[in-house]
Amino acid sequence: QSWRDRGYKQEGTLETPVEESVPKGTCQTMCPAIEMRQRQSQHRLHRYEILTGTEKDRQPRADPLRMVKEYARPAAGKDSTNPSELRPPDVLQKTVHYLIDEIATSQNLHPWTEVYGFVFDRLRAVKQDMIIQRLSGPCCVTILEQTVCFLVYASYRLCGEPLRLYDPKLNDMHVQENLRWLLDCYVSGSAPNDHQEEYEALNLLYNLCTKALQRVMQLPEGLRCTPDISLALSISHAYLERNPVRLLRLAKKLSFLQMCALHRHLTACRRDLLLIYSHGFSSRNCRFPLEKLSHLLDLDTCYTTQYCQLYGVEINLENTVIFTKNAF
Amino acid sequence: MAHITINQYLQQVLYEAIDNRDGAFCAQLLSFKHPHVANPRLQLQSPEEKCQQVLEPPYDEMVAAHLRCCFAVANHDFVEAYKFQTLVVQYPSAEQQLQRKGKGQPGEMLEKAAEQLMSCFRVCASDNRAGIDDSKKWGMMFLSNQLFKIYFKINKLPLCKPLIRAIDSSNLRTEFSPAQTVTYKYYVGRKAMFDSDFKPAEEYLSYSFDHCHRSSQKNKRMILIYLLPVKMLLGHMPTLQLLRKYDLMQFSDVTKGVREGNLLLLNEALSKHETFFIRCGIFLILEKLKIITYRNLFKKVYLLLQTHQLPLEAFLIALRMMKVEGVDLDEVQCILANLIYMGHIKGYISHQHQKLVVSKQNPFPALSTLT
Repeated sequence: QSWRDRGYKQEGTLETPVEESVPKGTCQTMCPAIEMRQRQSQHRLHRYEILTGTEKDRQPRADPLRMVKEYARPAAGKDSTNPSELRPPDVLQKTVHYLIDEIATSQNLHPWTEVYGFVFDRLRAVKQDMIIQRLSGPCCVTILEQTVCFLVYASYRLCGEPLRLYDPKLNDMHVQENLRWLLDCYVSGSAPNDHQEEYEALNLLYNLCTKALQRVMQLPEGLRCTPDISLALSISHAYLERNPVRLLRLAKKLSFLQMCALHRHLTACRRDLLLIYSHGFSSRNCRFPLEKLSHLLDLDTCYTTQYCQLYGVEINLENTVIFTKNAF
Repeated sequence: MAHITINQYLQQVLYEAIDNRDGAFCAQLLSFKHPHVANPRLQLQSPEEKCQQVLEPPYDEMVAAHLRCCFAVANHDFVEAYKFQTLVVQYPSAEQQLQRKGKGQPGEMLEKAAEQLMSCFRVCASDNRAGIDDSKKWGMMFLSNQLFKIYFKINKLPLCKPLIRAIDSSNLRTEFSPAQTVTYKYYVGRKAMFDSDFKPAEEYLSYSFDHCHRSSQKNKRMILIYLLPVKMLLGHMPTLQLLRKYDLMQFSDVTKGVREGNLLLLNEALSKHETFFIRCGIFLILEKLKIITYRNLFKKVYLLLQTHQLPLEAFLIALRMMKVEGVDLDEVQCILANLIYMGHIKGYISHQHQKLVVSKQNPFPALSTLT
């Protein structure tokens, strides 16, 4: 009997139209009123959210125009589907615009790690609202595109920061999640999207792995031949063939954001170059000009020297490099 | 069989199948590949009562679900059909053959089907009490093969790993039927290939190819599609005869290009049959053959010049002949350095003299001797 019940129950859930159970947000501000009150009374306002002039008060007041819903982990017993605490697509769009235009690209806010921490968290909350409301379509694409841009740029700008200010692993996870969702949107969307090639190329450069290549291979021919994607493809092939000279040379043609995406691979790529040159040019009497090497690595001689020292490649007093395969 | 009444059908299930403990026949009666599915007299909307009259639980429920499924299929309601047939499958004592239906459904159902299959697999794998002769563990390989098929289709290869581990650690590992083992090794080999573990991939796929029944030409061809690239990467080129026999002439120019060091031909062959190679998922593996092609091309340069000190300019000319885009001496040095690093060339490059100096003994070691 119990087995039969289970069968019917399953049937029940399948037959309910999906739309009915999807929550639809009604919150018209970037931050729900209840959260605003709560965080104000708990002294949990971010520096960027405090009403100007009340910073020094015993209880700083919230600025309703600058408050943004913060990310909160889903937890047992917490109702995250309350419509009054969810923002509809147009409000989410506005929120992202505010975060990118007013905060992330602001000239007055320092340090940038703090800006990053704030925007990263708030964008995460935006994504959570999108997931709960199961958004799709053009609005979803725009938000994801902006999020990806921000995260990719951050991965470049903050790569030298200490772990407590910037966690590359966490950032990477979010880049991947957003990218995957975005690319899925392109594929399932009915109308072709103008930005698809740009972000397909970005995905390829950011990941540079066979899986990303496999994906691009399955795109329609017309898309694959666009300048952005074909350049990204050439770079991936150079990487696959282990030709760092070609890779670094092609990389000079990339746009700024594309370069940010590729940047995380460059160290490994330069290391690779030194490794294979240490084997290929390994001879006691042979010398390799430092000038030439730094040209190949696309670095100035000072950085080149540092790289060489890091990997045990010897540079003599006449500024020539002595490659030996045992030294690397 | 095609036009029996519901009562006759149920009698068959009861006496001939269940009472005679004839599992194979019982499976047929619950299978979707059997003609009874098309019998309009069996397509009932609510067969539960009839089934309860004749059959004991749990069989009444299984058969009823199956019959409702027939009804649904007849009405082209495939989602409904899927639901009922999975009920049959979900039933823990159901025989393994039953879930075949699950995978035939449209794409969106694949993941759900995989879930159902996985729960069957768990039942089979955890059957520790039954004796070895009638243990459900025998179903493990069949189920994992079906799961592999789905995982490859929906591109979720990492999910294969726990299945492989479960089978490899099972003490029945070598006892499964040859047909199942061939399929199993085929998928495990393909997975190894995508993980770039070419040596094990060659082993699995070779086993699969050698043990595949000689009358299953189509299967042998499928195995070859993956075995060929792996073999080529390890330095074994297929004969034209083999390619012709299995109708795999798409590989002929690829092979020729690699063997002759003819990069131009290789590139042409790759782009000509691009759709085929991409569909099979081997395009990127074949692109790795370029490195071997460089080696073969450079070996030709060496044989032509007959000296151990080869001017870099000569390699540049060779690459330009092969229409490699934008290549210059810096890149030539990089390609050569990589070949030296990988052990394809024994020697070193002198930047001062712009020469490649190769070893006097065996400067281009045979590919198959490299590890």
